[in-house]
Amino acid sequence: MPKRSPAEQLNQAIEEVLVALPSRSESKSGRSLAQVMSIARTLRFLPRASFRAALKSDLQRRTAMSESTAASPAPAPPHFRRPGFPNIAPYFLVNHAPQFIDFLVSAFEGTERIRVPRPDGSVMHAEVGIGNSVIEMGDANQQYPQRFMTTHLYVPDARATYARALKAGATPIFSPTDEHPSGDLWGEAKDPFGNTWYIATRKGWSGGPEGVLTVQPYLHLRNAHDMIPFIEAAFSAKVTGVHKSPDGIVQHATIEIAGATFEIDEAQGETQPTQSYLHVYVPDTDAVYAQALRAGATSVTPPNTAPYGDRAATVKDPFDNTWFLATFVGEPHP
Amino acid sequence: MAVRRPARRSSLAAAEERLLVEEAQRDPAKFDALYELYFERIYYFVASRVRERVTAEDITSEVFHKALANLQSFEWRGAPFAAWLFRIASNALADQYKRTSRERPSSSEENVEELERAPSSRNMREIDEHAHLFRLVDKLPAVQKRVVYERFVEERSIREIAERLKKTDGAIKQLQFRALQTLRARMEGGHA
Repeated sequence: MPKRSPAEQLNQAIEEVLVALPSRSESKSGRSLAQVMSIARTLRFLPRASFRAALKSDLQRRTAMSESTAASPAPAPPHFRRPGFPNIAPYFLVNHAPQFIDFLVSAFEGTERIRVPRPDGSVMHAEVGIGNSVIEMGDANQQYPQRFMTTHLYVPDARATYARALKAGATPIFSPTDEHPSGDLWGEAKDPFGNTWYIATRKGWSGGPEGVLTVQPYLHLRNAHDMIPFIEAAFSAKVTGVHKSPDGIVQHATIEIAGATFEIDEAQGETQPTQSYLHVYVPDTDAVYAQALRAGATSVTPPNTAPYGDRAATVKDPFDNTWFLATFVGEPHP
Repeated sequence: MAVRRPARRSSLAAAEERLLVEEAQRDPAKFDALYELYFERIYYFVASRVRERVTAEDITSEVFHKALANLQSFEWRGAPFAAWLFRIASNALADQYKRTSRERPSSSEENVEELERAPSSRNMREIDEHAHLFRLVDKLPAVQKRVVYERFVEERSIREIAERLKKTDGAIKQLQFRALQTLRARMEGGHA
């Protein structure tokens, strides 16, 4: 029988290790092979490089979200923010706004704060408080047609909120799971009006009502990486966490404007790009409006003093999101 | 493993570790450095105690997420940070085993106790050596590294790897041989 090469002998021994057979080759061979085989046995536990990188990315994402959510709510609201508006409010333009309000109340234990009806019974403007945040809405119209938006909710008990949402008519996408890459308990549902809700509970963190913003808009964008330089230039935004795939796709970023946050990622696969309506309080509407136009935004409504007392303006960003800019010019907060 | 042990952990390393932990406690974004320091060790500790790779990954992920979430509660009480991290890993392994044993009643209490036991200092030295080996794989020439991953991580046959890399079976065996010889030599402190 021809003598086998060292490479052949080693491979035979490795075959036995990989299929967990008692190693005959090794016992018949010398010390040198035995030493190499001890290396081979350890290599059976070699971690996947992709797992190592993915876990690191998850942890980075988690720390970025902690920083942004922990840092967002100030103990005293800044003067430019209307009381009760700590978050960037998603502004829903829907068909059948009264039913949408009912859904928010039932599904998310929302509290209707204000409703301004039109003569025909439709809703011109309404606000529903959810947790420590606010969501705004009105019936869609020709100027502002219906859009399907995605919103991230942080609630004390994601499973209970998810169950309530389904009972109120939402369609399940996936029930809250501990396995979500964010590390949070996270579920997803679609409301009867076509909007998507990420329903999450932070783990290992016990924020009180002021601790974390309940409502955070979530924008799925085509070429999301282009949003970052735009939003920094237009709104002096602070990007608190950007996680990209090796080929440069933005997998997640949290962005802060004047102390409130929203999230973005790349629209991929089943996740289609969203065009959202967003209501954001800024220190100086006129200045931010001008700055946004210089950065590439399109004017919808120039700055004006609205009947309800805010200095307001509207611009559209290059991704077709509509931004209602506002500065509260009423009495200082008590 | 029959290889030379890495240098004994010095007081300087302990001081550096403490600095890294304190920095991460002040700024969680600095947790990265602790992850880089401990990933291989925790992964080996977990993977060598479970059957499935996917389970090892789930538990490793759980360990680091828990460590990050509870980092503020870690206090220096004479034990190194590593001991705290391995305690989390031991608990996670025991929890996983209990979950599995509900499905496979043949499991015993002794096994749970064994898993709950944190590694001894001797075990720690072995874990350090294995983790060191994993890091050395990254420094192999690209083609040898590829063969190692294909063979030991993906568990592909020599024939499959040969087809994927468009080489002969013999060439793959040679690359595998050289890779392992290089790793052995480097573990012993040489420069093969």
